[in-house]
Amino acid sequence: MRLWALVADGSADVRAYGARTALQTVGVVLGVASVVATLGLSAGQRAKSMAFWEETGGTLKVAVYPKPVDSARSSARERASKGLTLADVEAVRQRLSGFDLVATAVRRPLWVRSGIHQERLTVTGITPEWAEFHELRLGRGRMLAEDDMVTAAPVCVLGAQRARELFGSGDPLGKTLRVGDHALVVVGVLAYREFYWNRAESFNALGWMNELILVPATTLTRRYLGAGVERVDELALRLASPQAHATAVPALRNLLLARHGVEDFQIFDRKDRIEQMEQQGRIYDITFLVCGLIALLVGGIVVANIMLASFTERMREVGIRKAIGAKGSSILVQFLVETVIVNGLGGFLGLALGVAFVHGMAMLLDQTAVLTPTMILAAVACAVSVAVVFGLYPAWKAARLDPVVALRYE
Amino acid sequence: MGQEAPLIELSGIWKVYNGGVEVQALRGVDLTVDAGEYVAIMGPSGSGKSTLMHILGCLDSPTRGSYRLAGQEVAHLSPGKLAEIRNRFVGFVFQAFNLLPRASILRNVELPLLYGGVAKNERRERAMAMLSRVGLADRAKHLPSQLSGGQRQRAAIARALVTQPAVLLADEPTGNLDQATGAEVMALFDELNAQGQTVILVTHDPQVAAHARRVVHLVDGRIARDQRRGS
Repeated sequence: MRLWALVADGSADVRAYGARTALQTVGVVLGVASVVATLGLSAGQRAKSMAFWEETGGTLKVAVYPKPVDSARSSARERASKGLTLADVEAVRQRLSGFDLVATAVRRPLWVRSGIHQERLTVTGITPEWAEFHELRLGRGRMLAEDDMVTAAPVCVLGAQRARELFGSGDPLGKTLRVGDHALVVVGVLAYREFYWNRAESFNALGWMNELILVPATTLTRRYLGAGVERVDELALRLASPQAHATAVPALRNLLLARHGVEDFQIFDRKDRIEQMEQQGRIYDITFLVCGLIALLVGGIVVANIMLASFTERMREVGIRKAIGAKGSSILVQFLVETVIVNGLGGFLGLALGVAFVHGMAMLLDQTAVLTPTMILAAVACAVSVAVVFGLYPAWKAARLDPVVALRYE
Repeated sequence: MGQEAPLIELSGIWKVYNGGVEVQALRGVDLTVDAGEYVAIMGPSGSGKSTLMHILGCLDSPTRGSYRLAGQEVAHLSPGKLAEIRNRFVGFVFQAFNLLPRASILRNVELPLLYGGVAKNERRERAMAMLSRVGLADRAKHLPSQLSGGQRQRAAIARALVTQPAVLLADEPTGNLDQATGAEVMALFDELNAQGQTVILVTHDPQVAAHARRVVHLVDGRIARDQRRGS
């Protein structure tokens, strides 16, 4: 009852000093909002990049590409190396554990002719696992199968855009496509894929999938490149688990080195790149957070300034209140009410403003708006710390003030 | 009346400030004030009269000595206890009025009752009654800045009296007022004392002191003279 009367009196005071309260609240609002906004923006950026990695097969991919060796300086044994071959693929598949997917691709530019269009295009010979590796999605028909590999079948699967170029609006399934000197039957069409980093960006990061012309790897090597030529352009592997990375990747390197006698290949693993991106993400996080904290500090200084500007007036008031019988605890309650109102309101509005800003930016940049409990916690922590530093401390000081000293403030 | 224990009984009060240089503001003050008295404490500046008033009003504690207020020893109570004593037994009137500038006159007058734990309806009633008594009932909703100096001091007196304190302490109550309004305020004190209110004035103005029936002169932290006038 008594406490409630003190709280009511305190809030009447907050209303009486409307301008001062409003300015303090604005300080807290800006501080909290900027912390939420910066955390939200960097989280959104990270979510976007993770979405891209997920879209394209996650973090488990390892790729091997041939690396040209300076033939003038290489030894006979090195020159004898055939580079990456289908035999390497087979060896990796049989001798190495730690990979649950081993695929390969070989590419050749060939003349491609349909009834309505002809163009020299890159044709990609793949093992069936390659489609799985890149998470290609089938639109219609079927994918290339193991049987097609065994028989070097004259079949192909087209990317969505290629299918439209070569066959217009008609159904390409079952149609014949002249590729080089052979006629291939179209057995499947891939689904159209797209991924944009942001709305302003016109580059489709998955656009290459729409431009594929896929044939069985054996079809390309045997029918086009001649028997005995088994060179491939890419070895694509997928780790069975993230933990396998530490052993499987060095084992892969050793196996290929033993078979080739020379390091005429390069291993790319995405784990490194993702770790790099993660690190960049952390740097972004820290940068953003520092900006947010500076904003919070500025907000806090605004609050502190207003507190200081009204210090004389307030000390005198504390003196008057004490002279007419206010105890230290009553003064404390009065200041606490103000602190709770200013920081509660400021924190809430700041959170709302920050969330609105993050959503606005997300719409503008075509990013997902990410709001984690951590951010809300951070906002609350910010408001509370401003409250403690710029509200509780003066309250504590005022409560302990000697009434004679307080009354003497002029 | 003479049989009752005195309302205020100071004996051997010392107040020593020690901020690098030791200052003896009060050096052994003995003073007794009975209920219903009208006392003026006079003295040049630096004589210790402000310090004496702070101690009389329980705003400050003496360094040494005993202070019995309404039969209770209050010289060395905790700040919290002193706040309670001030609230129940003492009403202050200051030279600078010391009203809360952003609170209405009514809220100002209610405030001591709020700290005294009086319920809201009773607070309002008693504050309004006290404002009527000082002739400010129609100004209850005004802010102090909307009132004249004399009206402000009357509001401050209403605030001081609303708890029905044993003693009304006034520190240069006319110091910020012109001659005419000062006289008005002094007339109010006279009237209050005539109704039985104990009043202690602290002043350096002989004209103000002339209203009191007893004048205590303070020089260098000691009582130099204690004059009573026949009523």
